[in-house]
Amino acid sequence: MSVTKPHFSDGLLASLPIVMGYLPIAFSFGVAATRAGFSVIDAFALSLIIYAGASQFLALALLASGAPVLVAAFTLIAMNLRHLLYGPALMREAGSKATRRHAWAWAWGLTDEVFGQALGALARGQPFSERYMFGLGLGAYAAWVLGTVVGALVGGGALDAWPALAAGLGFLLPALFLALLLSISSRRQLPVIGIAGAATVAGTLALSSTSGILLGMLAGALTGLSRR
Amino acid sequence: MNWDLFAVACLAGAANWAFRALPILARTDRIATAGWLERFLAATGPAAIATLFVASILPALTPDILRLLPVITGTVTVLATYFARRSVVAATLAGALVHGVTVWLFA
Repeated sequence: MSVTKPHFSDGLLASLPIVMGYLPIAFSFGVAATRAGFSVIDAFALSLIIYAGASQFLALALLASGAPVLVAAFTLIAMNLRHLLYGPALMREAGSKATRRHAWAWAWGLTDEVFGQALGALARGQPFSERYMFGLGLGAYAAWVLGTVVGALVGGGALDAWPALAAGLGFLLPALFLALLLSISSRRQLPVIGIAGAATVAGTLALSSTSGILLGMLAGALTGLSRR
Repeated sequence: MNWDLFAVACLAGAANWAFRALPILARTDRIATAGWLERFLAATGPAAIATLFVASILPALTPDILRLLPVITGTVTVLATYFARRSVVAATLAGALVHGVTVWLFA
């Protein structure tokens, strides 16, 4: 029995939770950019060209404090080293027959959340398709850029009148990660998940949230390496 | 246009593209179909998602029970919905909805 490969529209639909999670965060970024003295065009350019949430907020802080261009750039680059692991992990799950002809384009959208959603779909038995990856990535990317521009145009305080809505939107990404974790978990991976979580807490408390993320991923992956 | 910002964005953006695309184009997942790289890559996905969940929930954890309550109700809803429906989208949206409603009721 052959299983139909998912379409572009399936990817767009699957991006919905990410879109709803990205919009308020990108909105906050747009607000923060204009408050830091940057223009709407600057905020738009950062989201369009960098497309990595945490490092964009850091870029604002570094540039607003007068950090040299190269220092700021290398700090941001170091923050996103973890993305090196996503492509190979995804393609391993996709199988040896998966095409990657257009990976130069769709891989641009391989953020933390897109990677998680794509990996979860593959783990649930959905076949890999580049069309799906384009749909998933484009939905998330459009939401990120759109949210930034709206935030930069509207300015702060837009969600202040609806704290419950802001809180619910703010919980979308933790909820998405938890649901994805449930969808790919297996008894065999429990030690990996436990060690990764513990190392993230330790790294975050001892060093910084970025260090915690890097340490968590490395510790979890190394735990998998030690198991036969 | 702030040109320092533009230069930083271009450097960081180029690195991001390289980190995301080049390992796929270089077929690094096929270097070893068995052995240490296979085990490392198999564990990377679950490790990454576990890490991102912990990193995203950590700032919301507080000893103040009223502020923690929406996190608890939201998390329990994600777990319950996922096990009832086996749907990532439904679990995510239900968790966020219950989180927001809890804030609305108790804030």
